[in-house]
Parts: sequence; structure tokens; C-alpha cells
Amino acid sequence: MDYPAINVKNVSFSYNSNPALQNLNFTIERNSFVSILGPNGAGKSTLVNLLSKVILPDKGEIFIEGKNIKELTHNEIAKKVAVVPQNTSLGFNFSVYETILMGRYPYLSRFKGEKPEDYNIVDEIMELTRTDIFKDKKYNELSGGEKQRVVIAQTLAQGSPVIILDEPTSHLDINFQIEFMELFNSLYKKQGKTIIGIFHDINLAIQYSEKIMFLKEGSIYCYGNVKDVLNRKNIMSVFKSDVYIGKNPFTGKLYVSPNFNLRYNFGKEKNEKEIKIHVIGGGGSASPILNMLNNSGYIVSTGVINNLDTDLYTAEQLGITFVNEAPFSPISREAQTRNVELIKNSDVVILPCIEFGNGNFLNLIAVDEAINSGKKVIIVESADISLRDHTGGDAAKLYEKIKVKGAFILKSNDEILNVLQNGEKGK
Amino acid sequence: MHIRTVKYVIILLIILIALVVLSSAIGSANLSLKLTIKTLISVIPGIRNLINTSSINPQDFKVIFDIRLPRILVSILAGIALSGSGVIFQGIFRNPMADPYIIGVSAGAAFGATIGLLFAGNIKIISLSATSIFAFLGAIGTTFLIYNISKIKGKISVLTLLLSGVALSSLLSSIISFIMIYRTHDLAKIYFWIMGGLANSSWTNFLIIMPVIIIIMIISAFFMRDLNVMSLGDERANQLGVQTEKIKQILLILASIMAAAAVSVSGIIGFIGLITPHIMRIIIGPDHKILYPTASISGGIVLLLSDTIARTVLSPREIPVGIITSIIGVPFFIYLLIKSKRQVF
Repeated sequence: MDYPAINVKNVSFSYNSNPALQNLNFTIERNSFVSILGPNGAGKSTLVNLLSKVILPDKGEIFIEGKNIKELTHNEIAKKVAVVPQNTSLGFNFSVYETILMGRYPYLSRFKGEKPEDYNIVDEIMELTRTDIFKDKKYNELSGGEKQRVVIAQTLAQGSPVIILDEPTSHLDINFQIEFMELFNSLYKKQGKTIIGIFHDINLAIQYSEKIMFLKEGSIYCYGNVKDVLNRKNIMSVFKSDVYIGKNPFTGKLYVSPNFNLRYNFGKEKNEKEIKIHVIGGGGSASPILNMLNNSGYIVSTGVINNLDTDLYTAEQLGITFVNEAPFSPISREAQTRNVELIKNSDVVILPCIEFGNGNFLNLIAVDEAINSGKKVIIVESADISLRDHTGGDAAKLYEKIKVKGAFILKSNDEILNVLQNGEKGK
Repeated sequence: MHIRTVKYVIILLIILIALVVLSSAIGSANLSLKLTIKTLISVIPGIRNLINTSSINPQDFKVIFDIRLPRILVSILAGIALSGSGVIFQGIFRNPMADPYIIGVSAGAAFGATIGLLFAGNIKIISLSATSIFAFLGAIGTTFLIYNISKIKGKISVLTLLLSGVALSSLLSSIISFIMIYRTHDLAKIYFWIMGGLANSSWTNFLIIMPVIIIIMIISAFFMRDLNVMSLGDERANQLGVQTEKIKQILLILASIMAAAAVSVSGIIGFIGLITPHIMRIIIGPDHKILYPTASISGGIVLLLSDTIARTVLSPREIPVGIITSIIGVPFFIYLLIKSKRQVF
């Protein structure tokens, strides 16, 4: 009796001779919430069609609750697996109520009408999906979002233990997107349903999913718990896009944000000169610079940064060499030595527009030593030092000295690349 | 059945029966309504004892039962079959332009009838004219051919079906035109058959097509919920549990046979199978469970009314019934389209 909800064994499918899915093997346990993610053309919709027997696999077997899909009629499958499609058009203009009632089709005998039970279920679901407010309207008179709600209601009327979402929220406004994701989430948590979702919005998917399956070019790239498979490397490989993965401070869940900088450098050769740049970190000011330089192909290092600092997280994500210090602690002798070592090995030192206190004053001293030893120093000064000095004047004094010693002063981070390139020309 | 369905069916049946009485009374020899009713009742067992049958004139009896009634009943059946199959074809194809002739029934029947008229003009088999038999075979044969052309890997490709239907129909029309040029003395006969008409209706015609049409009407009525769900598209209907391919094939075959049966005795009467379903859809909505019986009976009403007008207005001359169906049907349809002011599809 304890068969998994879905078991796919060695399944392949081709459209004519173009392979859409190759050798898929996976299991989806009962009462789980799985998201299937992948770029366009990865085979997500084909997989949905296979799981609902709209198409049959060329090779391999699919089992739903232990039963081979080949031996089940559409009717039997519809009682086990319901699909919320991307969009649905109606050939004839049925009312909302009639449309939702069609979800009871698998339970109706050809020779009998609907039973009171069928009407009760539909009424319940209309209340749940708040489609009852327009139940007498014609389907084709509804807005795109309302239509989608009706289709979701129709799917729920099937009462199946497995629900497949084929980008169900793509036509909905954000409030309804969240409302419906919450609805599916409660079906998963309270009614023990299995939810399998295809989403374009990775963030929506990971807010609710237990597991993620990445599809790439018709194969499973990886499949596992969100925290194990959701990382920059996997997304880079599957979507060919660089992203930043952070933690939503409200929910503690991960979120993905595109790293737009990379777009400008897509396909460009790495910087051949292998220029080494050290960026002084702290308080998150270094992060955009680190990312920009890293994407442009420079060899970047950073320090000294306290643990828990955003800049440290960025450096970890980008795989940059860094010098760190215990949280909320002043820079230790040992950290300072390592930082100076990194500065010595680099060609340029950048001082972002950071705040100075007694804890990180040594970072400023390190910059001073650098300029004394003839290193090229770039200072980003988008705010006056007097506003950023929390040492009682020492930091401002030293900062002004460094400026006088011939550092490049820039008004914003955007100018950095320009200066680096022109500087190279000047050599 | 739904209470609403029953209500509509009863209303339409009352209209139909009234029209049968009226149509039995009028014609080249006009009979009084009272006499007509009396004559009609005189054959109904049980009730006939309640009336005095002595006043019935054997001449009138002959006019009603040998001439008018078979024609009335055949026209009702043909109307039911054409409109019913129209609902089915429009439902399967999810296309408002679909009608019973869309997959070659009409062209095949015309071709068969032409062959029958030319080569077996006077032969009768069980008192059914060779023309009718050839027309039926032509219709079924053509449909079967088109159906097989468009069946790819066990699935019907709707697009191929419609395209090959159009292509084969025009090929057959060309052949008919060629025959008409070659055999000019048969031109009128072929032309009038193609125009459609019920003048040759007989009890034999009626008794042969009645069981075919009634049985198919009853069987296909059980597939109307499936047609409703299929209006969401094949893929979605699949997901909701409908065996779309199987049901499409069953209904295509049933509707084609039904249309072929009608065409074989009535010729090609246009409009009814296309527009009667639309008219009823505007009036009662898209639910096939109600639409199918009501549109079918309405088809019977429309064809009977048209045929009665066709044989009486220019009496003793007859107007081809297709002309009347268009003249009374199209303005009514356009009126409804404007009045409803909403999307029919």
C-alpha cells in the first residue's frame, strides 16, 4: 500500500526525432511538495503531459501510487492526478459553475447525472477558491486571473491526492499568486496532498517547496532538498545565469536574485592581464565592487571583514580570497598581518566608501602602508569622511593624509572599471 | 435528464406536433384542420374509438397518409439528423464553422447519387431507389476515406480531417460537373437531387432511416457530457479523465452515418446542420446535454416548416427546400446574433 506517489523509471520521450526527455529516473514521495525548475525547452511541460498520460513515454515506465500508467484509463488517472494547466480556453461559453463542475467528470457514470455529493464538493471548492462570487458569470467574460482561479477550482474538484501545477500562477497578480500558493501549501500540509509544481519564478517555488528538481536539456541535473541543491553553481549550470542567493530575513528562507552585472560581460574573455585587486571590506560597501571586479575578470581579494558581515557573505558566494575576523570584534594582529600580506601581493588597493570605527581602524592603516609602498590606491568617496568617522577624528585625519599622498578619488563605484582600464593604458 | 431539458423538449415537441397537423392539412388540396386532426387520430389505437370515424373521406385519408405524412415524417427525421450531427461536429471540432457536410458527407452523397441516377436510374431495392442507396454508400465511403487519411498513429488530426474533407469534396464536385457536361440530358436530374428535396419521400424511406437515426440519436446522447468537457481542448479533457480519442472516433462515425442517412433520402439540404445548433446555443446555452436534444428537435421543426412552405407557396410548383431554409433561417439567425450581443463562441 505504501507506494510512492510517482515513480518514474528510465523514461524517455521524443517529439518526432527530437529527444525531449532522456532516461528520467525519480521518485516523488506521498505528501511532498516538489518543484521542477529548468529553462524553457528543458522538458518540464513534456514531463507534466507524461505524468497525466496526455502522452505516453517512448521508453520506460511511470507508476502512480504503484500502478503502471499504461494500465490506467484517463478516468482512473484523473482521480489520482490533477493538473492545473497554464491557461485554458473554452470552445463554448459555459458558466463558471458549469466549468468547475466538469472537474467531477471522472466520478460520473455515463448514464447518470451528478449526485448531491458532487454539488456539495463543488460548492465547498468555490468557497475555498473564492470563485463563488462570480459563479453565474460566463467563463469567457472573466479576466485572465479570474479564469485561472476557475481552472484551479476545477482541478481541485477532481479531489485527487496528487496535484501538478504547470505554472499555475503565471496569470495572477501577486496577491492571488501568494493566496494560491498558500492554498496549495495548506492542501499539502493539512490534507496530505502531493504537490508537484513547475514554476518560472524560482523564488515562489523555493518559498514552499520541500524538494527541487532541476531539469536541463531533457535530463535531471539534480534533485534533492532545497538547501542541498539550491546554490549558485547549480543555477549557473542549469540556467546559464549568475545569481545571488540570500536569505529572506523575514522568513529565514533562501531567495535568488539575478546578478545583473554579468550580463554586460557575457561571453567576454577573461581579463588576460590577471591584475590583482584588493578591496577593503566592511558593512556591505565592498559587495558591489567585489562582484563587479570579479565579473570583469580581475583577481580579487578582500579583508578584513567581520563574520556575519554582508561583504563576507558576498566574498564566500563569489569564491574570493578574504581575511575575516570574529563578529563585533576589533581587527586582531593576526588578521591584520594576513590582510597586509594580500595587499602586498596585489596591484591595486580599493577603499570603498566604508564607515570607520575603532574596530576597523587598522584597515585604514593598511591602506596608508600600501600607498607608502607605492601601491596604486583608489578611494571611492560618495560621502564625506567626516560623516563616516566614528573614531573621534583619527580616521578622518589619516584618510586625508592618504588622499594627499596621491590616491585616485572617485565619486562612485561606477567609475572604478574606467579608471582601471585607463590606468592600464597609461602604463 | 435535467428538468430544464425536459421542459424545453416538451415545448418543442408540442410545436412539432402542431406543425405536423398544420402541414398535413395544407397543400394542393386544402383540408380543414378539424378533419385533418380527426383523420390523424383515426389511426391511433385507443383514442380512435373516442371519435366518430364515419365522416372521414377515404380520399382525404389517402392524401394524408400516402402522400403528406411520409414526407412530413421524413423531413422531421432528416432535420433531426442534420441538426443533431451538426451539434456533434461543432462539438468535436470546437469550431463554429463545422457542419454535417464538413468531412465529405455531402460531396460523397452527391457523387453516389449521380452515379445512381446515371447507371441505375430505375432500379429499386426493397422499394428504395438506387439513387438513395448510392448516395448513402457515397457519403459513408467518402467519410471513411477522409477519416482514414487523417488518422495518424491512432489519433485523428482535426486539421488533416478538415483539409482532406475540403480537398476530396472539391475533387468529387469536379467529377460531378464533368459528368453533367458529358451527359447534358441528365443535368436537371442531377442538379435537382443536389439541391435537395423531399418530394420523393415514401413510407419505405421513413421506415429505413428511422431506426438508424433514432438509435444513433439515443447512443450519442450519452456522450454529451464528454463533449462539454472536450470544449476545454483535448489535452485538458484528457487531464479531466476524458478518453478524447475514443470518444471523438465514436461520435465521428455515429454522426457521419446519421448525416449520410438523412442526405440519402433528402439530398443536400444546407444551413440546417450549421445554423440550427447555433440558434439553440444562443437561446439555451452551450451545455450539450440540453443542446443536443433541443437542437435536434428544432432541426426537425425547421425542416418541416421549410418543406411545407416549399411545396405550398408556388403550388403546384415546388421550390427547392434549401432555398426556404436559408430565407427563413438566416434572417432569424442574424436577428439573434445582434440581439444576444455576446460572444457565441
